[in-house]
Amino acid sequence: MSVAAASRAAPRGSGLARLLNGPHDIGRTPGAWAVLAAGLASFLVYPHWATAFQATNVAYYLLNIPMALGLSLLWGYGGVLSFGQVAFFAVAGYVYGIVAGNLPDAPWGTWLGVVSGLGASAALAAVFGYFIFYARVAAWIVPILTLVLALLLSTFLGLTAGSMWTVGQVPLGGYNGMTGIPALQVGTLTFQDYAFYYLTVGVVVLCYIGLRAWVNAHRGQVLMAIREDTLRTELLGYDVRREQLRAFVLAATLAGVSGLLYVQWGNYITPSVTGLQQAALPVVWVAVGGRDSLLAVAICTFLLNQLSYVLSSAGNQYALVIIGALLVAVMMFAPEGIVVTLARRTWRRRR
Amino acid sequence: MDTPTPSKDAAAPDAAEAAATGPRRRDVLVAGLATAGAVLARPAIVRAASETPVKVGFIEDESGNLSIYGVQKLHAAQLAVQEINDGYTLAGGPVGMGGLGSDGMYAPKAPLLTASGSKLDVIDAGGTPSQKGIVVSDDQEILVKSGEKGLLGRPVNLVSADGQSNNTLWQQLARRMIQQDQVDVLVAGFASAEREAIRPIVDQRKQLYFYTNQYEGGVADSHTFCTGAVCEQQVIPVMQYMVEKFGPKIFTIAANYNFGQLTASWVRSFAPVLKAKVIGEEFPPLEVSEFSSVIARVQQAKPDWVMTLLVGQNQSNYYPQAAAAGLHLPMASTINMAQGYEHKRFKPPSLANMHNAVNYMQEIPTKRNQDFVQRFYKMFPNDPYLGQMAQNTYFSIHLYAKAARLAGTTDQEKVRRTLEAGWTIEAPEGSVFLEPATHHATHYIRLAVANAKHEISFVREWPSIEPWWLQRLGVNLARTPEKKQYTPDDDPFFKMFK
Amino acid sequence: MPEAVSLLYQFGTNAAFLLLSALGLIVILGMMNIINLAHGEFMMLGAYAATASVQRGVPFPLAVLIAAVAVGLFGVVIERLIVRRFYGRELGALVVTWGISLILGQGALLLFGPFMPPIAIPGGAVALGDYSFSVYWLFLIVLCGVLLAALAFVYRATRFGLQARAAMQNARMARALGIRVDRIYMATFALGAALAGLSGALLAPTTSIAPFMGQQFVAPAFITVVVGGGASVIGGALGSSGLLSLVQTPVAFLFGTFSGTLALLLTALVVIRLLPGGVSSIGRYFTRRSLAAAR
Repeated sequence: MSVAAASRAAPRGSGLARLLNGPHDIGRTPGAWAVLAAGLASFLVYPHWATAFQATNVAYYLLNIPMALGLSLLWGYGGVLSFGQVAFFAVAGYVYGIVAGNLPDAPWGTWLGVVSGLGASAALAAVFGYFIFYARVAAWIVPILTLVLALLLSTFLGLTAGSMWTVGQVPLGGYNGMTGIPALQVGTLTFQDYAFYYLTVGVVVLCYIGLRAWVNAHRGQVLMAIREDTLRTELLGYDVRREQLRAFVLAATLAGVSGLLYVQWGNYITPSVTGLQQAALPVVWVAVGGRDSLLAVAICTFLLNQLSYVLSSAGNQYALVIIGALLVAVMMFAPEGIVVTLARRTWRRRR
Repeated sequence: MDTPTPSKDAAAPDAAEAAATGPRRRDVLVAGLATAGAVLARPAIVRAASETPVKVGFIEDESGNLSIYGVQKLHAAQLAVQEINDGYTLAGGPVGMGGLGSDGMYAPKAPLLTASGSKLDVIDAGGTPSQKGIVVSDDQEILVKSGEKGLLGRPVNLVSADGQSNNTLWQQLARRMIQQDQVDVLVAGFASAEREAIRPIVDQRKQLYFYTNQYEGGVADSHTFCTGAVCEQQVIPVMQYMVEKFGPKIFTIAANYNFGQLTASWVRSFAPVLKAKVIGEEFPPLEVSEFSSVIARVQQAKPDWVMTLLVGQNQSNYYPQAAAAGLHLPMASTINMAQGYEHKRFKPPSLANMHNAVNYMQEIPTKRNQDFVQRFYKMFPNDPYLGQMAQNTYFSIHLYAKAARLAGTTDQEKVRRTLEAGWTIEAPEGSVFLEPATHHATHYIRLAVANAKHEISFVREWPSIEPWWLQRLGVNLARTPEKKQYTPDDDPFFKMFK
Repeated sequence: MPEAVSLLYQFGTNAAFLLLSALGLIVILGMMNIINLAHGEFMMLGAYAATASVQRGVPFPLAVLIAAVAVGLFGVVIERLIVRRFYGRELGALVVTWGISLILGQGALLLFGPFMPPIAIPGGAVALGDYSFSVYWLFLIVLCGVLLAALAFVYRATRFGLQARAAMQNARMARALGIRVDRIYMATFALGAALAGLSGALLAPTTSIAPFMGQQFVAPAFITVVVGGGASVIGGALGSSGLLSLVQTPVAFLFGTFSGTLALLLTALVVIRLLPGGVSSIGRYFTRRSLAAAR
């Protein structure tokens, strides 16, 4: 069945449920959906027995999921690895900080910040992606180019210490970062502590459901077709460059979503969020979880963030060694990703 | 006299166990204080075992890029906590606004600087050439009995975490310390970026916080006490010496980020005051590790001396590369040697002729310091160096304990108000005065010079330099709460020299 | 006149730094197409091995050779245990080598502490006018040329080189012709690791020896190899390091180091947009000899 035929076969009206249960993610059985629903429910009731500190901490494990999902889309479903998602993460955070910080009294200031932050991420991705995809550079060069973008941005932001780098009333702050970024507000409600936790859970669920529908819809299938056979897809009449660019921009916007949540969490952002160490982390989360499954990536991002926090807050010097060893072991013994491998085994046994 | 030895594990708060350890070699104690202490010490032990510990929260980088600095700070904190639990404190007390002169173990006689300056480093007040321009009664003991084992009848517990040189993790750990562990005081931060990462959290939760590192200055924060040296205490003294000794033409090489740029603007702005001139500036990014262009630019500019404000792993490569390229100009700095012990890490003579106005280095020859160095290496025999921020951490924790003891509580607001009484503490460097209005410390500054074999000598001393810049800007935290960091842009003086 | 010599010297050191950073990667990424993110840590191991040898009284040139052999052997172990499972899966290799680099960096910190006592830079300085130049860097510039020539010779003129090229281009065909592809892969990876160890040892006197020192070489190395392109990796690396430092040196000299670094990165981006095949694809127009080994 051709890609086009597949998309035509996809139902239109009550399509969302069908799309969600499409073939391109793990967890399609009723049992799996029940587990997912139970998981979501437990996230919703968790704050009732957690302190504000614990809820905020859990929100931190969650807030990186949109960025990881975007990379999963780009790499796992589209076959294009970006090592520079953190650049879009940082751009969204910084632009939000500038816009919201300059409009401290306007009730819609923070929301304008959200829109412009996401817009800036998407615009940067569009321009940079144009250079990459319309030049048709080899697939293995893309990660290195995006890494260079991230490092360049990190270097540049680190140099903005002087007063000439004050935008309106907000200094960029150089290597020390931008502090005092205002939190999102609706009326009198400021999204902090529990409110921030629920905001994060909501955003993550929306991103996941949206993406899961997207990969099972027409566009997602074209993307997978490009991954499988670029030339054939092109001969079928699709503009491969445009489709790849579209996925790249979408992934960048999702990284921007994570960036926005991050500045809500800490009211703070520094150039190191787009440095070499951080740049590799999304790749690690996606690879370890299983890059061609959104759900696996989401679960793994949550768990790895938690693991790294637990290891380091115990003052354990072996944190980096353990994470490195985990990475090597997973890539060697479960190259499809640890969550995907486990899920497939369970599924087979049930059958 | 029966005094216990610090045991290896400072985090173990068991006062009874600490009390059971063997006698201490030290025999030089100020008799009066010791007797008073001995009388009070006994009942404290009994109380200590039953009480919940006083928690000193401590975050430093024990792994990752900055761990060469973090580990010695951790060890210094462990030593301080151990000494508190063993019933010791550093001499000193609240002295009000009078500053050092009203108390302190010695009254420093300020060195008179010669007008010509080239031959003599210092002359004494009578006009006689002298290597030592001040009178120091150095033989007194600074570690004295506190009168109780632990603090307020409770053992002191060091709650430490590893920031892994990662700012986001620093935020997480600061929240954990403040919200979950509910520490009574937080001592944390090497890089300015780390301090700025956690300061909003500290302010939001009104956490008593000590930042013990040397830094670019300007933090005016009601909840933060900055006990390290700042620009006005280091930059101007070292420039004064260099201009006198080597000449007025300065070339600045500074790391291209906040610390480097701000410190470079101090150099630029105070050069005219000293009748000197910055003839060239170079700001290599932190990532740069190959310096042939920088070296060539310096050679082209032909300065009398070079101000190097280089930071981090990559940038320290400048020194061996410059030495190999035959660039043998005198160098000045405010960070090298005292912080990253470059004179130990690099092969001589890479750092030959390096000058730094430091508030502490382990080589300071005074008896009080050598005793401290001995105590430190007895506890941590394998440590490579004991630098200035480790010493600052050490006396800051003692200072906190003294203030809490006087306040009679660990209530953070009350301890903060007590600290704002203005405290003198006898640190290994000398007498330190915690200035109430700015929450910064007056330091004993020494000019350290490395020779071709990387041996350190101290060629000039300034017994008490105030952190005057925030005062000049009108900061008074005891009256007007603030939480911002001032930069030279906030000061009209600096604007004249942009 | 001294200015010109100084500029030439800066150009040489900049190019030599890029080339030395990239030396091992030329083989491992350029020829084998393994995106080795542990490259910097291989160089760190070389520097550690050399430093440890010098401390035990071994003369520096011998210490450099010891470092190369030691890291080469380490490369064999890594290849046999881990990397050989990832041939043809570039992105998997990228992730797994990132894991290896984390282990090596933090492991070195735990085993050897935060720093090692350094090695003195051999050779003195020669003066010319206001400028003076490090003899050791002059030696490194020359040595870079020699090493590249030797690598090109091995790659193009020996039986091993021929078999290696065959194996990289079409493993199945090479196997059918009786080449022991497995061995070839192992030897090539070991060669790349040994070269990384060698350049780490050579650069050791110019840098501080610390667990995370490898990170400084990663970006320059990848940029050099990527800008060089895959048509002819050795020539490409030579061309790209020359081109990049040709841009970087005058900009850095006139406007400062930061501008120089920025110019280097921007040049890299522009070159890749205009010449997706890298600098070496220019050469292809003239020679018409496609050695698309890295594809």
